[in-house]
Amino acid sequence: MSYLAALRLHFAGQFQAAPSTVNNDPLHFDNDTFKPTDKLPSLPPPGDPRGWWNPRGNADWRFIGCRVTGASYADGTRATAEDPVLRMVVADADRRAAAKMADLDTEQQLVSEIWGLEVRICDGNGTTVLRGEFAPAAFIDIWDRAQGPGGGGDIGACATYQSIVGDLEWGDLGGSRLLGELRDAAADDGLLSMRFNVDGYNMTLGSPDFTRGRIAGTIGVASASEPKHFVAGRQFMARAASGGNFFKPTGSINFCTALVDEELGRILIDLGNALPTVGPGGPQEDLGELTVGYVAAGESKLTSLGVIDYRADAWYPQSAGVAEVALDEAQVAAIREAELGLSLSSVTSVTFESPGGVYVKADDFVHRLDPGDVAEVAIFATRYGRPYAGAEIVAVEDPSGLQIQVVPGDPDVGTPGSAISFAKTLEPTGEDGRATLRIEAGDPGNPRVFIDGQVFGVRPSLAGQAADYPTDPWNFISVLVFDEFKADEPITWWGGVQPVFQQYSNLYPVMDDFLDLSDYKSVCANLDLLELAFDLDTGNPNSMPVTRDLARSKRAAILRWMGNRGPDGNPLLGTPPPPGAPKPAILTGTASGATARPGAWVSGAAVSGAAAARGGKAAAAARRVGFGTTGGRDAR
Amino acid sequence: MIALRAELVENLGDLEGLREAVQKAIELEHATLPTYLYALYSIVPGHNREIKRLVKSVILEEMLHMRLACNILNAIGGSPVINRPDFIPTYPGPLPGAVEGGLTVPLSPLSVELVENVFMVIEEPEDSLEFPGRIATVASAVTIGQFYTAIAEQITKAGDGIFTGELGLQVTGDLGSYHVDPITNAASAVAAIGTIIEQGEGTTQAPIDAEGELAHYYRFAEIVHGRYLVANASPPPDYSYSGGEIPFEEAGVRRLVVNPTTETYAPGSGARRANDNFNYTYTSLLKSLHATFNGQPDELMTAVGLMESCKTQALEMGRLAVGDGTFAGPSFSYQPVNPWPERLTYVLRFHRPPYPTGQAEPATTASGLDVTTMLEGGVFSSELNLVGGAIRLSCRWSSRRTRTGRCSSSGERSASGMRARAR
Repeated sequence: MSYLAALRLHFAGQFQAAPSTVNNDPLHFDNDTFKPTDKLPSLPPPGDPRGWWNPRGNADWRFIGCRVTGASYADGTRATAEDPVLRMVVADADRRAAAKMADLDTEQQLVSEIWGLEVRICDGNGTTVLRGEFAPAAFIDIWDRAQGPGGGGDIGACATYQSIVGDLEWGDLGGSRLLGELRDAAADDGLLSMRFNVDGYNMTLGSPDFTRGRIAGTIGVASASEPKHFVAGRQFMARAASGGNFFKPTGSINFCTALVDEELGRILIDLGNALPTVGPGGPQEDLGELTVGYVAAGESKLTSLGVIDYRADAWYPQSAGVAEVALDEAQVAAIREAELGLSLSSVTSVTFESPGGVYVKADDFVHRLDPGDVAEVAIFATRYGRPYAGAEIVAVEDPSGLQIQVVPGDPDVGTPGSAISFAKTLEPTGEDGRATLRIEAGDPGNPRVFIDGQVFGVRPSLAGQAADYPTDPWNFISVLVFDEFKADEPITWWGGVQPVFQQYSNLYPVMDDFLDLSDYKSVCANLDLLELAFDLDTGNPNSMPVTRDLARSKRAAILRWMGNRGPDGNPLLGTPPPPGAPKPAILTGTASGATARPGAWVSGAAVSGAAAARGGKAAAAARRVGFGTTGGRDAR
Repeated sequence: MIALRAELVENLGDLEGLREAVQKAIELEHATLPTYLYALYSIVPGHNREIKRLVKSVILEEMLHMRLACNILNAIGGSPVINRPDFIPTYPGPLPGAVEGGLTVPLSPLSVELVENVFMVIEEPEDSLEFPGRIATVASAVTIGQFYTAIAEQITKAGDGIFTGELGLQVTGDLGSYHVDPITNAASAVAAIGTIIEQGEGTTQAPIDAEGELAHYYRFAEIVHGRYLVANASPPPDYSYSGGEIPFEEAGVRRLVVNPTTETYAPGSGARRANDNFNYTYTSLLKSLHATFNGQPDELMTAVGLMESCKTQALEMGRLAVGDGTFAGPSFSYQPVNPWPERLTYVLRFHRPPYPTGQAEPATTASGLDVTTMLEGGVFSSELNLVGGAIRLSCRWSSRRTRTGRCSSSGERSASGMRARAR
């Protein structure tokens, strides 16, 4: 089961995501060339982008004013006003700090994860009815959703998060039938499934809505045996049109998933991240009648199953984009082995289900590994929404979705390839449609010098897939492999700690108000809190570094340093390196000493320069290795 | 000095009365924190470093005192209550338990006047020691020190038999530079109270506590004098405010709004939203502390994380200009959801037959709502938090008829003779 089922509730409101943007520039990781002005907001283009649009972000991620907007019971009927769940709110933690958002890496900013999010359903006075832990998850399927003016860049984008919610604690349900059904249905595996779409994000410093956007989502029941981060259903494969910052579908409909409930006789389709809006965070764009159908044997056109009233008032906030169409027995039978399609009457292209109904996807698609670690990645193969047993899956290294910029000195991604190893052909999937991809991490050997480790992309797919087979560019695994960290023994401030702390001090200016992480005395004065924060599990919202990009060996060394106090009661200082010590080769002859690199971010990328120049995800998307015709590693 | 109401120490002979007094002590220790923190948050980072250090050192000890008081209450079989809306006093206003007409404690940016007229008064000992340059004091009444002394005396009198609380409820061990031992008997409870009194007021002989640290009162006096209190080489007097300078740099203080409330900031403004975020975090902190002192002592570290989060947010708020050259500061309000749902007052008017004299009036109820209701001669009014959806209001009277009204957050609707008006 997943949220895409009869039993579910919808919510809508705002979210807040306040990342620090200084680390959006890979060259800001170079302590030797970092300038104090890099901690300040961008100058207007074509000025120096400096610390980009939110250098003082604290990484907090919040639900703001989210209300339960709709619900339906396991028998398929809609909840009415009698059910108190419709007067409840969806909130985050009320007993610990706000969740945090972090990129995987400065060269993979397109899988931003939410860490430490506690989800609550509570009444208007904050009394908790349900609480649980949202397993860390990254967004996927980001696309250019907003149409018309004002929609450029991140502001016009929409992306989706899906994960499981565990450690459930149920309170007094206030007589809600819906919550009672959820509790009972979740009793076996103790898991809920939660999905939400985020769009209309505000990047305008000084606006009351700065760092906020619209959110709409759905909560249902999860099964432990099913994917955590996607629905093993029927996948509609958008095809890329030219233009756009992220992804522009030819049929105006983004990648989306449907699920057929044969018992209740209906098809559920999650269009929450799939239909365009008028302006950022605006209402649905009217693209005519939306029909869901199937391709009957021997036919080329869609046979209609029904229409979806996506143009109704408040359709999106009340349903989070989940639509239902009733099916009779003949229709249920007809679509069991037939490709589905979505068609808008004013759009020529139809968005079809994947050819042959076959689909392959990695569940956990973001990994942080230390040398010697092995990631066991569950890969699910489905055929017409059912487990595809015996499927042969291959995996290739594919850095095309990672990001580099076309200025000298910017470290490359995906090298050396020897730092990760995995079987290129997997054992065929079992009866459950599942295969395991084992990714083993070696020591990258510090290829990026001032950035720890290296990022890699691995793309699983069906063996023998035709060249024109539609693929989701975002459907790949991102792996950050940290370097093995070697420090003086015993480790001292100058013998290993200072450069690490200097980098965090540079990249996270909000700390400057109460702590100078680059200064030994300041660190010593705050040692108790730092020791506490560095020792927390990364799933804890207070874990340091907030960026979740600290190698295990480095963390251990830092904690060792903090714990080993000298005669003065402070950790060991050591001796500073001699001035003019030789720098590694990669730092010579680069542009890193330049005062400004206006426009450098987007040159060579076939995107709207103005949109990407605002920074954020649009700038990252413009720097993808495999993006456009002139960008990418071959052009460097 | 703070004059507390005499009744706080009147019922100590009864164990329940003793527990109530310790609960009041917990509230009192907490109540000083928002006002001290507000002043601390107003300091521009990098400025007024010594004053900041002094204020912060007092804050950390007030937190320690709150922890000690919670441990004492747990030790004598009580349960600290920290998560209720009324745990937070109103600012500006009196401290919990204070007599009427006494000191008004504000939320105000740092100034020498604030330290002198509020902070020093809060911390003033019963018989403060006179040192050259000292400020005149208010005539004494029942001080915080006397309140604690009375509690200690009663604990001694009651003896070890009242220490029935589960030991695992106490939050002990090291935190920062403080070590806290479990409270198991009258002697350890009295020792903990001694720490609270001495850190706050000093001893009757010297302005320092057992560890040689200056008591809060004298630390604040240092700020007012602009100099450290040091031991004189040739007494008397033993001490004088003649040490190194403690400069007050007015330009190093942000002009935060004085006594903000949630309504200070316009709905939809950046300051309102930042204040909502802060208050939600602050309320979460109180809930986390409540859990910490009610069976989950390991949660203390989570509470510390929330304190850091409050600090970060408050300092960012101080960068938001809100007009008249002032900047936003947190209102320290109870807010368990973020933001509060729209708060609406509904007035329902209906007709009902008059009741014969002497006959009891039937109850008027609003079902499905957690509201306080009031019946005023045919006008039923109710304040509630509306979280969307329809609201069913049922009023029952003699004929047992049920009326249902649908209300929305805007406009006016009526049904079956009942009128619902949103204000």
